[in-house]
Amino acid sequence: MLSAGIVIPGFVVIGLVFIGIGVALFVTSRSITVLEIDYTGVEKDSPCFKCSDPDIKNCGCKVDFSIDTLFEGPLFLYYGLSNYFQNYRQYGASKDLTQLSGDLASFKDPSDVCYPYDYSVQKPIVPCGSIANSMFNDTFKLFHIVKGTRKQVALDGKGIAWWTDYNVKFRNPLVNPLKNAFNGTTKPPFWPKPAYELDPTDPANNGFDNQDFLVWMRAAALPNFRKLYRRISEGEYEKGLPAGNYSLEIAYNYPVLQFEGRKKVVFSNVSWMGGKNEFLGIAYLVIGSLCVVMSVVMLIVYAKFKFPEED
Amino acid sequence: MYTALPILALSLFDQDVNDRWSFQYPQLYSPGQLNLYFSKKAFVRCMLHSAYSSLILFFIPWAAMHDTVRDDGKDIADYQSFALLAQTSLLVVVNTQLCLDTYYWTAVNQFFVWGSLAAYFAITFTMYSNGMFLIFTSSFPFMGTARNSLNQPNVWLTIFLSTLLCILPVVAIRFILLQIRPTINDKVRHKVRKEALPAPTPHRKPARRISTRKSGYAFSHSEGFGELVTSRRFLLKRPLKSRPVLFATTESPLAQNQPQHYRTITEEQDPSV
Repeated sequence: MLSAGIVIPGFVVIGLVFIGIGVALFVTSRSITVLEIDYTGVEKDSPCFKCSDPDIKNCGCKVDFSIDTLFEGPLFLYYGLSNYFQNYRQYGASKDLTQLSGDLASFKDPSDVCYPYDYSVQKPIVPCGSIANSMFNDTFKLFHIVKGTRKQVALDGKGIAWWTDYNVKFRNPLVNPLKNAFNGTTKPPFWPKPAYELDPTDPANNGFDNQDFLVWMRAAALPNFRKLYRRISEGEYEKGLPAGNYSLEIAYNYPVLQFEGRKKVVFSNVSWMGGKNEFLGIAYLVIGSLCVVMSVVMLIVYAKFKFPEED
Repeated sequence: MYTALPILALSLFDQDVNDRWSFQYPQLYSPGQLNLYFSKKAFVRCMLHSAYSSLILFFIPWAAMHDTVRDDGKDIADYQSFALLAQTSLLVVVNTQLCLDTYYWTAVNQFFVWGSLAAYFAITFTMYSNGMFLIFTSSFPFMGTARNSLNQPNVWLTIFLSTLLCILPVVAIRFILLQIRPTINDKVRHKVRKEALPAPTPHRKPARRISTRKSGYAFSHSEGFGELVTSRRFLLKRPLKSRPVLFATTESPLAQNQPQHYRTITEEQDPSV
């Protein structure tokens, strides 16, 4: 199998294929636009600096930014956190899947892995565990400033979580009204409202079926991650965000400064390869070129050290 | 199950040269005798290879998943998808490396390699299916991960990249070593491709065994004890007088001051014993 007739042309072919794929990936990645706005408020001149004081509750801040050219849609709005280790083992295991699939028996008896977020004020916590308790609760509103007037950009929050999570993994208990299922239980300590009030206006988005809750429960693999918040794809912004001035109003609730984390908002569009990631394109190009170089080297070695025929 | 069985099958059933060629060229057994396959150098080489592969199998998915999303904007850089990606890359790398290492393809080999890949995907999709989750909720938290991440082109491109990045250096190094420093196995294999199979040895029927042996058996590396036994060096030669006396009396027949002489197989029966 390792004869020269197979290996050397094989390397050349693989190298050329890699270079082709690498070019495609690189070009696609270049065509994706990303806009990141860090709003942690660490610097004194940052608009959210006043909110970084942990004693202030219900703080709101406004970040203004402008776009030079049309930001092509459909656009996705993400919130990003850094230095946040959702992959920490004890954190990642701290949830009760039977509770989250609507089993009323486990409402009264949360699993032990949820400790210390399993019982509070002598009542079981629903949903229990560290992941649920630490749910991200900043909210954003986007305004487009046109001739002095502020026009709100519609943000679509439907279907931002995986369909398997929404339809199968997380189910509300089959009790109507939902509030009755939570009798005798209490909300997680960090939450402002209990689970059945996550979205009172839409029963398909309430309780454990809340899309933001599902997105948060899908724990991230790396310490710097972003999670989908909303989609901008409706109405007049269907084609994307036109050039102009924008204002992002943030309800700053989530504390990150005690662990030196950062919060940011990311606007991005996507393509067949997903979000902007230059690594794959560059890696394919580099490996492809190395393959071609190696094939030349192997050809030289083969030509010089012709395989000896004697025993 | 996915990784151990194919390797076991390879080690048990692989054959580097046909057995008739092994009879023709008994020098093929010399690498085993010279301890070439089981030396510190071979071990260090293995360790370096595995260290390199592990770094590739983690850092390529890490860099590819960093800050990226699915093609519909949803999450893909989550813990479960990342784990699935790393594991799938690993499986593909192991099976490809096995295919590279197998010189003698039998039905058993084929079954184990393709079977393990098929079993991996079958078991993964089963474990991550709705049914298993609904029956055993807490035991199968990875529900939906395979379906949602393995339909993404950038996931498969990452798997393809890590596989080739692990395999191609091995192929290149082996090829170059083959040209510069061919081992006796390589030379015989080259000859095998050129010439026809030698005639079977006339004394017995050609061996149609499925069980094969690798020419350089790993453990036939030291001399053994034949030399020691046949040289009679282990026999008692010095007189008993210099030994401490076991019994007080010296007149018993046991305390003879004659050496106990044991004959070897080749000696004639000693009439005095």
